[in-house]
Amino acid sequence: MSVAAKPRRGPGPDVPTAAAPLEKPADEHPREKRPFLLDFFPLESANETRLSRFFDQLREGRLSTTRCRRDGDLQWPPRVACPRCHAEDLEWIDLPEHGRIYAFSAVLGAAPLGMEGDVPYAVGLVDLDGAPLRLFGRIDGKPWSELAIGARVAVEPYDVGDGRVFYRFRALD
Amino acid sequence: MIAREVALVGGATTAFGVRPATWAELAQEVGAALFRAVPNLRTEDVDSLFVGAAEPERFAFQSHVAPFAAEQMGLRPHRIVQRTELACASGQSAIRSAYAAIAAGLSDVAVAVGVEKMNLPSMAEANTSMVCVMDRAWDGPGGATAPPFFAMVAQRHMLEHGTTDDQLAAVSEKNHRFANSNPNAQFYAKTFPRAKLKGLPLVAPPLRLGDCSSMTDGAAAVVLVAADRARQYTDAPVWVRGTGQYSDFHNLAHAGSLSEWPGLTLAAREAFRSAGIGPKDLDFAEIHDCFSISEIVEYEAFGFCGPGEGGAFVEDGRSDLGGDVVVNPRGGLLGCGHPLGATGIAQAVEVFDQCARRVPPARQVPDPEWALVHNLSGSANVHSVMIYQGGGPA
Repeated sequence: MSVAAKPRRGPGPDVPTAAAPLEKPADEHPREKRPFLLDFFPLESANETRLSRFFDQLREGRLSTTRCRRDGDLQWPPRVACPRCHAEDLEWIDLPEHGRIYAFSAVLGAAPLGMEGDVPYAVGLVDLDGAPLRLFGRIDGKPWSELAIGARVAVEPYDVGDGRVFYRFRALD
Repeated sequence: MIAREVALVGGATTAFGVRPATWAELAQEVGAALFRAVPNLRTEDVDSLFVGAAEPERFAFQSHVAPFAAEQMGLRPHRIVQRTELACASGQSAIRSAYAAIAAGLSDVAVAVGVEKMNLPSMAEANTSMVCVMDRAWDGPGGATAPPFFAMVAQRHMLEHGTTDDQLAAVSEKNHRFANSNPNAQFYAKTFPRAKLKGLPLVAPPLRLGDCSSMTDGAAAVVLVAADRARQYTDAPVWVRGTGQYSDFHNLAHAGSLSEWPGLTLAAREAFRSAGIGPKDLDFAEIHDCFSISEIVEYEAFGFCGPGEGGAFVEDGRSDLGGDVVVNPRGGLLGCGHPLGATGIAQAVEVFDQCARRVPPARQVPDPEWALVHNLSGSANVHSVMIYQGGGPA
């Protein structure tokens, strides 16, 4: 699926923003709740961020971002103001669900808090199919030594374990 | 307004390493070392203090470190006192700020000090703090730390240019060899031949332990003065001749090809332009080898060699003593360790000591005159470059 092929969803009142139960897999490595200053995951609720819609849509299985209605600038991560023309009139668009690995490596030691148990874990930069975006993220599903540049991955939302949600990539065959 | 000429008149570092010492104790140590290294400097001369510190809030649980450092060093600056934070380039940022203040006439005698205490009882907490250098909320959840980012740079450089593990090891071998003539280096008196380096464990493939700089405690300080004050402190001032900086991106989605760093090309171009020299004029360079691959990509961006030729450049000895330009004679970040805020200042100390011909023969650059110092910060987000000239008439 490409960005253009997907119907756009503007931030109108008809679009539900309440979180549907996440049917995507939970984190393979459940995390304990950490103090805010030792926790990487963003604050996600509407009383904490103006981008809560990103997380609500991710809960519905959709990776999305913002695009400027004035100059068409496609952004990552999602924003509240356009970095190019500085307009604050942005729309939400869905992003492709698949991509290919541009570069990857793995963390084999020296992991941060909460990720020590994940070691070894693979990370990479992924070119999304049909969208001019290269996203960084965790790549699960295969050991790092079986990954390759150009290999296909799927975007996979997952439940962080404390009510929050994030995305990762899953290596495909 | 015409900018005033600015001289580097001396500096000192503490021992770098896993130090049984606090942030405050490192600042006291470097203060004592600085006043020994610049005997004519009196505390009341120092009108301004710039403190390079990347993450004292995280590593030492201490904010407001500019007056904190001033008190540790026994200084009472009365014109400008401030902290400069630019992650791995926080130290050079302090020097550039001191340079700007003196050039503008707002300071006559400034100290730039860098302090970092990185080794904590919990290394997982320290690693967590390193993630904050990245876009924490968007890249952090993926587990973004420095090693996998620079590993991806190496992977792409190897794919596109045929760079080899041997060439990565050649960078580390050279810098560790230089560090063996630097008693303040974290890896002083430890030898790392290429075969040993290639047998060390992988940290983030293809990078091995010897390809990565360390978590290091340390401090460094320099004195910068207006031209008319230089002779008061030294017979061999080193002059700031040029500088350049470029902020390219922050979130990893905008890192571009990885295999080349256009932001560094732009920062270098501005530094060379403002100094009125080119890469061929340099006698030595202290550049940011946070990882072995970084030094290779940097050779290319500075124009020491052509695009993709960085691996061969080091393998052929062209960045070693007797080569085109001696790179990282201090021992680099790989050999000295990388206390974030102190690194850029320790590099400037090396420039001064090289030009004063007071380093051991094993790393003394013959006829040192033109030197370049470079720091990147974060995932090569910002590049900061300074060009110095020593040896000339004061």
